[in-house]
Amino acid sequence: MKAATWTGVNEVSVEEVPEPQLLNDHDVILKITQSVTCGSDLHLLGGYIPFMRAGDVLGHEFIGEVVEAGPAVRNRKVGDRVVVAPFAACGNCWYCKQELYSLCDNGNANPGITEGLWGQSPGGCFGYSHAMGGYAGSHAEYMRVPYADVGTFLVPENVSDTRALFASDAASTGWMGADLAGTKPGDVVAVWGAGGVGQMAARAAMLLGAEQVVVLDRVPERLQQVREHVGAEAVDYTTTDVLAELRERTGGRGPDVCIEAVGMEAHGTGVAGVYDQVKQQLRLQTDRPTALREAVLACRKGGSVFSLGVFAAMVDKFPMGALMNKGLTFRGAQVHAQRYIPELLERMARDELVTEHLATHVLPLSEAPRGYQMFKDKTDGCVRAVFTPGS
Amino acid sequence: MPLPKIVARAAGLASEAGGTALKQLQHVRIPGVGQTSVTDDPRTAARRWRAVTVLTDPEQLRTATPAPLAAFGDRLEVRVSPAPGDRGAELAARFRGPVTEEEIGQLRSALREAKQLVEVGEVLRNEPQPHGHRAQTPQGKVLDGMDEQASKEGVL
Repeated sequence: MKAATWTGVNEVSVEEVPEPQLLNDHDVILKITQSVTCGSDLHLLGGYIPFMRAGDVLGHEFIGEVVEAGPAVRNRKVGDRVVVAPFAACGNCWYCKQELYSLCDNGNANPGITEGLWGQSPGGCFGYSHAMGGYAGSHAEYMRVPYADVGTFLVPENVSDTRALFASDAASTGWMGADLAGTKPGDVVAVWGAGGVGQMAARAAMLLGAEQVVVLDRVPERLQQVREHVGAEAVDYTTTDVLAELRERTGGRGPDVCIEAVGMEAHGTGVAGVYDQVKQQLRLQTDRPTALREAVLACRKGGSVFSLGVFAAMVDKFPMGALMNKGLTFRGAQVHAQRYIPELLERMARDELVTEHLATHVLPLSEAPRGYQMFKDKTDGCVRAVFTPGS
Repeated sequence: MPLPKIVARAAGLASEAGGTALKQLQHVRIPGVGQTSVTDDPRTAARRWRAVTVLTDPEQLRTATPAPLAAFGDRLEVRVSPAPGDRGAELAARFRGPVTEEEIGQLRSALREAKQLVEVGEVLRNEPQPHGHRAQTPQGKVLDGMDEQASKEGVL
């Protein structure tokens, strides 16, 4: 079958690879209908997460049709149209029972790598390096999904593939950030990053009752999408003093909730931006936390900061003093998608949550290298490139 | 030595280096940051209880030692105790006598498998996975070595 693979730093190829097989009794095989690029893939592409092997199949946000099911699968059958959570989670360990699915004890077959890095191993993620389980990803014609009864969800008939696709990761990650950051009616919420996840975090905050939601970015097309499709306010941080702007909008308090949806390759300006770039390129810090620093400094006293953007290891010049002395609550997580997908699909069916606008470029799988290039460079107004392996 | 043999030997060394690097990863000391794992001397490490918390009734584990641990026979001491806060049971094991690093790796793997068998009913497999052309680079071989050892390594 055809699949889009990582073949080296900033290199994506389309190759012929073997078809997947059922390896466990709880597995299903999916025929992939749509699979989308995610900002967190760029960290893999750029070599910032050095556990990719040439030939690894990329992709973790996808929708497809069940074509084969293992003998222990109870709730799915051949022909089901399903959207899938990016993290493999068993559904039976203590973490899964707490609905912290991306922390599943039994989802990562390579726990030794992440235990060495972080002290404990989170779950495994499809198409996201050998540190996260070594699973083949979804940019392929077919894919194996373990723990299928836990991680796959039937898509309502009146929800299109392209809308449901984003329930897999962008919408569930965004919703998780707004929810676990404790967004309440009347809150002011600021979101750093107007990519798919940032837009969905903003929309979630609005649906959870936030009084005002402000999204910060520098890409005009993305800021326009925030205004047009999300209904939140959009601020270009390259022409605005972010901290002053947020103070002015909040009576001097700062936002109640600050959601960082940028991650380890944040764009920085001025001396600080150059400093972070140089240190990262010299491997003196692994991650550039520009947006995260700003979120901590912007947040009101006693407020909440949530890190949705992916970080891999160490950051430098983190404003720990502000975090501690302002009494902030700081939290982060990979997506507990199984917790949110059912509710998101219901909201999608009621048109409360629309996502189709994120799919700015729908391409055949053979064009995956071009799709990733546009997505990485943010050219041609690309917000997300969606691949259609079956076409 | 013929060139193919030299290349094969180099690839083997790189793969071995990956396994070794993974062992070292858990012993990394970064000034001011601490470490991700214990750095006991081998004798102390061998005697330390290694444990997983299993979401099950402790009685189930007391009644029947999971097969991956039972396979070690008398060489292993096994301890089961209730975990606090409705987290199930703490399943711990250690060797009675001197052991090698390889055997400790086998114990880590057995504990993880035991937990999965009790909680899920099967052990998660991730091989074979579909993949494209594997370029035979030294970095790639290092990662292959890590991958091979990953179920036996870690802080457990």
